[in-house]
Amino acid sequence: MRTVYVMGVVLLSALSLLFALGIIYGEATDRWFLGGGSVGALLIAYSFIVLLLRKMGMTGPRKTER
Amino acid sequence: MSTVVERQIPGRYARLMTSLLRGTLRLDVWVNRLYPTDFNPLYYTGGLSNLFLFTLVLSGIFLFFYYDASLGEAFASVQYITDGVPYGGIVRGVHRYAADGFIVGILLHLLRNWFTDRHLFARDNPWISGMFLLLFGGFIGFTGYQLVWDERAQLLTSMFVAMLRSIPAAGATLTRLFIGGLGISDGTLVRILFLHIGPATALYAFLWWHYVRLRHPKIWPPGVWVLFCVGLVFLLAGAVPVTREAIPAATPAARPTSFPMDIFFLIPFWLLNFLPAGVVVLLLVSLFVGGLVIPYLSRRETPTEMGVRHSGVAQVIDGNCTGCELCYYDCPYNAIVMVPSPGPGLSKAAANRSLLAVVIESRCVECGICIGACPFEALELPKFLERDVLRQVAEAVQA
Repeated sequence: MRTVYVMGVVLLSALSLLFALGIIYGEATDRWFLGGGSVGALLIAYSFIVLLLRKMGMTGPRKTER
Repeated sequence: MSTVVERQIPGRYARLMTSLLRGTLRLDVWVNRLYPTDFNPLYYTGGLSNLFLFTLVLSGIFLFFYYDASLGEAFASVQYITDGVPYGGIVRGVHRYAADGFIVGILLHLLRNWFTDRHLFARDNPWISGMFLLLFGGFIGFTGYQLVWDERAQLLTSMFVAMLRSIPAAGATLTRLFIGGLGISDGTLVRILFLHIGPATALYAFLWWHYVRLRHPKIWPPGVWVLFCVGLVFLLAGAVPVTREAIPAATPAARPTSFPMDIFFLIPFWLLNFLPAGVVVLLLVSLFVGGLVIPYLSRRETPTEMGVRHSGVAQVIDGNCTGCELCYYDCPYNAIVMVPSPGPGLSKAAANRSLLAVVIESRCVECGICIGACPFEALELPKFLERDVLRQVAEAVQA
């Protein structure tokens, strides 16, 4: 299962890079909806990376949940 | 016969609520299989609503700087925000979709707390303040649609005026107050802008009321959900721009008869297709008042039936209190405060104390949590002493 999570993190990281390029492209060409939408997609990809890291046990639960 | 019916109705209601409670808990268990329990979004519906409200405030401040509240310029200023201001269309979309998220979050929060009985007894204050948050949130969303001052806003304003006029006795005065005179003018949009921002400010007063008796409210969701929700509104703002609904600017000559629907904020106006304005107003008032009385009418058990609700307000045994603050941190109702101790306690552990626990009687719900929190026997429920519990246990064993 850990391998699946690691692959997920790698895939999402690659997607994040793509979305970051979308932000830069949107800004450079004044396509603000593309740039703004890419910001959203990037944040969503980050949220799934955080979730996978948590499921892998690399980030811990909150202090109160321990 | 009537007695039988009266008994059946609470019975059916109790069974319905019990099945809803079970369904809610099953859903919790199912979501907990997908997410770690501290990431379960169902535990943070209130925090998610608060996050969307914060997003609304920030994006609203941005939009406010560019908005011109006059009949001739309002629509043009919104167009300028969308097309001329860098990322203005995105911020407008974020404002719109965060408003939808706010209402969805509030409704989920309401249903969850209703189905799990977390609106009864001492939790009636959060429930009532929550109803006001929902009411004001809905009204603010409606005025937001008016501020654009397109043909939809024009039609909404005339429909709202019809609803106001249908109110007996106060209708004419309320209409004059709303539109600022006998007809729609520049002053009308200024008033609508005030009715958009003023109640939005009041939301934070209601939030204070919502939180004041909760010791550990979950004000914000976990970081993973902050990222996801903020990302979602940005993604929607970019992928589904609010400008896709090309509605022309309002003009005195325009006679719009329909508009694109928003199920979160404009349902009452959709009802006007089938019902007279007065009936819609009556329905809205009934829904709101009905919501307010839910905590008092929908109890499955009365305080007497629960049996443990008359144990008396918790009392601090001065001589035993060490000022350790455990009760202060554990009380879920903010009913215990720590004050500088006027003198040492009587017990050895309390001899060097610097603080003393004091119970705020108006906040205490006699739950006994502080009794369990205190390792020094410095708190008691006066009508539910340890010897009473032991006696009841002994009686139960003998029976």
